[in-house]
Amino acid sequence: MDPAAIDPHVFDELQANAGADFVRELVDTFAEEAPRLLAELRSALAAGAAERFRRAAHSLKSNSHTFGATRLAERARALELGGLPADAAALDALEPEIDSTRAALQALARA
Amino acid sequence: MSASLPGAEVFGRIEILAAERRLHVDGQAVALGSRAFDLLAALVARRERVVPKEELIEVVWPGLVVEDNNLQVQISALRKVLGTQAIATVPGRGYQFTVAASPAATATAATASASKGVLAPGAATRGSRLLVADDNKVNRLLLCRSLELMGHEVASADNGRSALDKLRTERFDLLLLDLEMPEIDGFGLLAQRQADAALRDVPVIVTSSIEGVAQVARCIELGADDFLHKPVNPVLLKARVDSSLERKHLRDRERELLARLAPPAADAPPRAGAAARRLQATLLVARLGDTEAFALAQAPHETLELLSSWSTLMLDAIESHGGLVTQLGGDTITAAFGIAPQADAASSALQAALEMHELAALFDRERTAAGRPTLAQGIGIASGEIVAGEAGTPRRAAFACIGAAVQRAARLEALATQRGGGAVLLDDATHAALAGRFATEAMPPAVLPGGTKAVPVHALKTA
Repeated sequence: MDPAAIDPHVFDELQANAGADFVRELVDTFAEEAPRLLAELRSALAAGAAERFRRAAHSLKSNSHTFGATRLAERARALELGGLPADAAALDALEPEIDSTRAALQALARA
Repeated sequence: MSASLPGAEVFGRIEILAAERRLHVDGQAVALGSRAFDLLAALVARRERVVPKEELIEVVWPGLVVEDNNLQVQISALRKVLGTQAIATVPGRGYQFTVAASPAATATAATASASKGVLAPGAATRGSRLLVADDNKVNRLLLCRSLELMGHEVASADNGRSALDKLRTERFDLLLLDLEMPEIDGFGLLAQRQADAALRDVPVIVTSSIEGVAQVARCIELGADDFLHKPVNPVLLKARVDSSLERKHLRDRERELLARLAPPAADAPPRAGAAARRLQATLLVARLGDTEAFALAQAPHETLELLSSWSTLMLDAIESHGGLVTQLGGDTITAAFGIAPQADAASSALQAALEMHELAALFDRERTAAGRPTLAQGIGIASGEIVAGEAGTPRRAAFACIGAAVQRAARLEALATQRGGGAVLLDDATHAALAGRFATEAMPPAVLPGGTKAVPVHALKTA
């Protein structure tokens, strides 16, 4: 777990506004959605579908911002604005970041 | 507000206990027929819109063939109990329950514990129906949740096409629109909305994490009300949503008012046929006396409210007896009986006049009890051959009735109003057509206002 991956101010604010129970559900939804978005990024890259790639990166960025996952948001933003990468290296690097963000969020949500 | 009963829906003085089918007005139980109760419940459930007569009939008399009259009688019964203004008549369109829900009883944000003070529902716009269109599940859930905490009813769509389908089939007060979506994206939806007058009524707030001012500008050019960057700040969200909804409600009220003020559209009368015809008819003219002095002495809204209430009541009485309102002039109403085939136009006109007299007396009592000023009404009725048909320009046509009887009815009304105190005066032809079925009294022949020679005048005896 890597608490530094999450901006505590954003996460606290989210809990205060939407309710802690609801945020727990929302984190679970993110935990399901994020790997799907990664899979979409990989499949779009393989198909050379730049627009699909950009859109999946955009969604991941947007979700990360919602929870204050600033580091993951930055990576996703770079993918959104950078066009189709030459290879899957950036996506391979994204995977552990998604996993650690997910773990950090679930820990915070259940704290 | 005194302690309201558990489970009651409260609208000002009116408390409705749907489960027990009970109605309280000013804390007193009111006996209401079962049809009337069903009708009230139907109007209250649909209070955000004007409900067509056919729809009400289908709800209250399911599967039965029922004439408009039955509905109008029930509406009149409800108005007697609830006050005239509680149910508005929108000519040619239907009825609408107009009393706003009282806040205490309708706060639905049961989970308010999670919300801070700033997210408390805004009184004017709470309970609106919102649509969230966003393909991103996390964003969609969060936005729906935030809006629900503000006290709104929220539906959602996960792409632009499904959002458009929902907008076309259901009623919404506001759309929160994401830009990046499959099928049809936010820009595509905005473009389709611009081309569709019905959809343009629903304001749009775009919520997106899209970057660049150009995209925001494009949304505004395409008719979006506002733009919010994601992640959406809840305080900003509430402020923008409230503001959009308030403007929407204002526009709705304006439109409703216009609909009520507009003369019956050319398709509203039981289509007598656009071609002019010569026919036997009975004309009825009703007027409130001395509205000019009243308008000078009272606040403008007081005058308009009096005229609206009075018109509403008179219109119902006329229509429930088969009359066709040909002119609605604020303090004057002209109606024709016998345009649509009617066995006995003169009797129908007299029945309407009796009911108008009764409703006006009731209305006066209601206003006097509330310490508000009243005005006397005069009614003139005349029969004869007239020419009837649509006249006007292609853009705005009115149903016109021309003939000596029309003029005579207006002059009898002027005489009745001059004499004050709710007289109903008839000409000789109407009196003859009644053949003694209504109690009347012969008056000394009189020169009618605007006339030159004395004519016979009869007065209806009104108990």
